[in-house]
Amino acid sequence: MRSARDSKAKGRGIRQSMSDLHTWAGLLAGWILYAMFLTGTVSYFKDETSQWMRPEQAQQRDMPDAALVAQRVVETLGKIAAGSTQWSFALPDERTSVIDSFWRTPGASKGKRAFESARFDPVTGERTTARETLGGEFFYRFHFQFYYMPVLWGRWLAGLCAMFMLVAIVSGVITHKKIFVDFFTFRWGKGQRSWLDAHNALSVFGLPFHAMITYTGLVTLMAMYMPWGAQTAFRTPAERAAMTSQLSAFIQPRESSGQNAPLAPVDAMVREAQARWGRDKVGRVTITNPGDSTARVAVSRGEASRVSMSPQYMLFDGVTGKLIEVKDSVGGAAETRGVLYALHLGRFSDMQLRWLYFIVSLAGTAMVGTGLVMWTVKRRQKLADPARPYVGFWLVERLNIASIAGLSIAMTSFLWGNRLLPLGIAARDDAEVNVFFAMWGATLLYAFVRPARRAWIELLWLATAMLAFVPALNALTTNRPLWRSIAQGDWVFAGFDLMMWAFALLHAALAIRVTRHRPRTKPVGKRIAARAVMPEREKESA
Amino acid sequence: MTHLLSIVFCLMAFACLAVSMDRHQMMLFGRALRAGQTRGFRIAGWCGLVLALRFIVDYQGWALGLVSYSGCTSVSAGIVFGGLIVYERLSARRSHQP
Repeated sequence: MRSARDSKAKGRGIRQSMSDLHTWAGLLAGWILYAMFLTGTVSYFKDETSQWMRPEQAQQRDMPDAALVAQRVVETLGKIAAGSTQWSFALPDERTSVIDSFWRTPGASKGKRAFESARFDPVTGERTTARETLGGEFFYRFHFQFYYMPVLWGRWLAGLCAMFMLVAIVSGVITHKKIFVDFFTFRWGKGQRSWLDAHNALSVFGLPFHAMITYTGLVTLMAMYMPWGAQTAFRTPAERAAMTSQLSAFIQPRESSGQNAPLAPVDAMVREAQARWGRDKVGRVTITNPGDSTARVAVSRGEASRVSMSPQYMLFDGVTGKLIEVKDSVGGAAETRGVLYALHLGRFSDMQLRWLYFIVSLAGTAMVGTGLVMWTVKRRQKLADPARPYVGFWLVERLNIASIAGLSIAMTSFLWGNRLLPLGIAARDDAEVNVFFAMWGATLLYAFVRPARRAWIELLWLATAMLAFVPALNALTTNRPLWRSIAQGDWVFAGFDLMMWAFALLHAALAIRVTRHRPRTKPVGKRIAARAVMPEREKESA
Repeated sequence: MTHLLSIVFCLMAFACLAVSMDRHQMMLFGRALRAGQTRGFRIAGWCGLVLALRFIVDYQGWALGLVSYSGCTSVSAGIVFGGLIVYERLSARRSHQP
């Protein structure tokens, strides 16, 4: 009898403390997590975004032959990156129409960038003439290393927030004691209860994804967050190299001999790889010490249709063109990492699976968003005077506005900047990013000076208008308007434009809901009728 | 196509699972179903989920199949959830009219 009562009290205790943990872990990292989630979500269409942001690069109708493209790019690199100890470039696939390449800059002094990069046209092999932009790569990089700060700091911050997220997910599951009973439950118009139901639904339906994406997100950078195991186990350079070869197909340059020797034809090597993996399944070519007698060429397998990022590559002698080694598999631990890594990036996906990733990830974004808003909804009922909340409440509410409504505006501004900034200006790609952050900052200032409810409504409408206008802007500033894209079957451009309208509708719906919501007794804020929340329900919802 | 079919499988399965719950029985039929019926729907729902998994793994193999399956179940559960909300709102509106 007594022990039953004790265990009951104990059970309640742990649920309550988990609830507190969930609330505060979620809130403190929430604003950054929301931005990470949303930019990560759109990164599932990174290549499509990049295509849309480089309208000069013609639509790729047929996949070019990777072997020919590789040879063209190698010839160009021989001209512009001679003397470099390492070249690397990705081969085209169905979703990319430019060749991203980078090479080590010889004799770069400390503090200067050790790599230079360029984008090539697969047809000519020359530098692309498309406008200078980071494209979808900006959202992708921002997603895990932010901007305006050293990359390492950004990654540590992202890791810290991901750890908070993991804590929030586990504590959230423990707090939510009726996962199965309330599985499909949504109670309409019940204020905090409705918010909680929505938050639960978004969290529970996507729970496998949310847990996976958070955990695997940490795995992608685990060697940086926790290097000590590897440092202790692998002490000699040879051991380190052996470990690296389990993780990456990115071969490192060896000591060069100083004897010049021309590079063997790379197209023949790529053809061997095509024979092994399939015509369009070759991912990347990395060449070390090109032009030297110690040259090596690694041709690695693409990421499509295999749920693993573990390196698979064929290593060739760069002078004779002979196959030296085929790397087909890695050890169990490395393969586990490779699979988890691949699950996070989802690059193996076909279009349908990519959409599933996108939709569920968007639900994750909404989960973080509803969680943030719920913090204020729950506390607003207890405010003595809602017109004058305490500083913490005021701050959370304003940050919510800027991080949710403001981020939509900032991301859309980035697209506007891409279309409207003059083509000739220096560092145009940076200028686009500056537009993004300037607009984000402006929404934060706006949220600080306007009444909260008005700020929500106005910024959501602004986001709606800006999103809705993107296809028009595209029609006005490029020769690839929506009707032509549809007529020509260019579904990347058409799809992008149509998605802008879909997002505009979403923001309009949110704006209308906030506008319609009229608190009956208290005049200020997006307060939802709290009367309907019964006290005992309030307790269980904590 | 595989995805679409497995989403349809999952939709039916989650619909059955929703119908096997008291709260949704009250909303949909105005009364609780008999215990036997409830159990029937619950069994049908779980079998549907297993069948959908079987189907998608047959087509895509375990590696890709499990990833797809996770996406299909999440999206289908969301659609059933949304459908129940819409149904409830519509019937509430109907019952308010004279």
